[in-house]
Amino acid sequence: MNMHPRTQEFTASVLDGPMRDESELTAHVLVRPGKSYGFFTDTTVCIGCKACEVACKEWNNLPADDIGLTGDSYDNTGALSANTWRHVNFIERSGDGGVRDNDQTPFQSGWLMMSDVCKHCHNPPCLEACPTGALFKTEFDTVVVQQDVCNGCGYCVPACPFGVVDISKIDGKAHKCTLCYDRLKGGLEPACAKSCPTDSIQFGELEVLQEKASKRLDELHARGVETAYLYGVPGSPGATGDLGHLNAFFLLTDRPEVYNLPAAPTRASNRVAPALKAGLATMLGFALAAAVLLVSGRE
Amino acid sequence: MGLTGKMGRANEERPAVLAPSPKRGDGRASGWTGPTYYGRPQLKPAPFNNWVVGGYIFLAGLSGSSSLLGHIAELVGGPESERLARRARKYALLAPTIGSALLIEDLHTPKRFYNMLRVAKLRSPMSIGTWILMTFSAGAFPAAVLHFLADHLKAFRWLRRPAQFVQAPATLAGAGLSVYTAALMSATSTPSWASAPQALSVRYGASSVASAASALMLGERSPKLRRTLATLTCGALVVEAAASAAQAAAHRAKGVEEASGGGWGRAETIFALGLGVLAPVALLGASLVAPRARRRVLHNAAALATIGGSAMLRIATLGVGDDSATRPEISLRFAQPANLP
Ligand code: SF4
Repeated sequence: MNMHPRTQEFTASVLDGPMRDESELTAHVLVRPGKSYGFFTDTTVCIGCKACEVACKEWNNLPADDIGLTGDSYDNTGALSANTWRHVNFIERSGDGGVRDNDQTPFQSGWLMMSDVCKHCHNPPCLEACPTGALFKTEFDTVVVQQDVCNGCGYCVPACPFGVVDISKIDGKAHKCTLCYDRLKGGLEPACAKSCPTDSIQFGELEVLQEKASKRLDELHARGVETAYLYGVPGSPGATGDLGHLNAFFLLTDRPEVYNLPAAPTRASNRVAPALKAGLATMLGFALAAAVLLVSGRE
Repeated sequence: MGLTGKMGRANEERPAVLAPSPKRGDGRASGWTGPTYYGRPQLKPAPFNNWVVGGYIFLAGLSGSSSLLGHIAELVGGPESERLARRARKYALLAPTIGSALLIEDLHTPKRFYNMLRVAKLRSPMSIGTWILMTFSAGAFPAAVLHFLADHLKAFRWLRRPAQFVQAPATLAGAGLSVYTAALMSATSTPSWASAPQALSVRYGASSVASAASALMLGERSPKLRRTLATLTCGALVVEAAASAAQAAAHRAKGVEEASGGGWGRAETIFALGLGVLAPVALLGASLVAPRARRRVLHNAAALATIGGSAMLRIATLGVGDDSATRPEISLRFAQPANLP
């Protein structure tokens, strides 16, 4: 990677303060309020090192969920949770002949790895469901839970179509990835993206990332990886419908279900009006029926 | 770990671009038969205590519909409905008191319950519901107090009219209170709730009316009013049964009916349908041909069964939803493009 000229300003071993706009040096992007930021997670270069999981836990001071072996390939994290905001999926693909089948596609030797995260949906069902306004859109167009407002009602949990947000058993509040809201405010690149050694996780302005992703897609297609597509970008085979674009989107090479992603997620709040209308019409019907019965029952 | 089986199919059918669903040919099939991620849940179930939240939904329905029926009786039912209306006003106090306590109890940070009042959001049924409950309480409490004064103190008899007036918002909000909980459940990603928004709403509304009419029937001395309430209960139960059939059809069409195969699904069939609908309809039917002296017993038995079934309906449907959310073959099937509206 070409070094940013501003790196020359920081040659001392010990700095007297944080670097101004450090993200410019680490991610070649300036973080400014009012712009849209996100993650482009290119799963084709993920090596499953889990540096993102560790960096996230360290920066956000998150406890471990479960220290043990799951038996599910190298995935001992299991799932995203209140304490786990990055989760690397491990998928061992094979033919029908066995786990170490020789008949592999000449690509990643049958391994699929993907660092999953909150998608920071454009129309986030978790935020729409939130009855306290604790969930909000930040000035960086990301979705964050305000910990001093959340009362732990838990309604965002079933609202999320990706099973991301979770209630903590420790403090009784909803927690999920904040896209390092605090770091963005300080001009820093989110911890996971900064720690990713292969740039599988890239942080940046959404439009720029989408452009990068489509270039990468063309490149992969040209190299013969026809199965590659973008998940969470409108107009692509992995578009996420009424949720709109996902600020954290992915380049995948197999069906969404293989990565535990829904093929066609829906915007939960679209069901409010139909349900309420049907219910209120029912109640109106019963009210009229009761009135008729009561009147005709009078002497 | 059954890995090869699960993942193998994905490979075999792997297509040029994004594959069509492996089961698209018979898209009506139950459950996703393609790959899952080690059978791990793709969604998180609602972190509600089903007994507590189900209990609230039941009380909300009972209170809301009682207020609605009681007020209608007061307006058009003539003097013989007066006692009925009074009982209805008492039932209306259940949701604002015990119901609210249950709601706060289920919060994971209960001391911050008042944060529900910071915002009003039309896209959040929980926010809508908060304000419906507030409006309802704001009508039901003063109405109960004014009526109490009017009924017990001669000097306050003139309060009867204003009491009816302040109760009006509770009556209207009562209709909302009876059904908004269904909208709350269907406006999630939980497959068995999300797959039939209208049917669930009608089912909850009908169950609310049935439970309220039944509760009002319990203490009713006038045989004629009891018959009216029995007819209303019976009608509501028939609508409820039709709505559950519609809901089951929607579940089948969207491939999520397997979620009803577990313990909660059985509880729903036995208690919500068996105890809550079939038993009372049979008892009410029997009361038509029974000798006069027996009728009251049959009415009361039917009322109790209806009320119990109505509570279990809410508790069990919450549980079935949890089952549907934690089973990836159901949630991944639900999220197939064929299911998009
Ligand atoms: S992925 Fe889930 S938690 Fe993240 S913004 Fe979307 S709905 Fe909310």
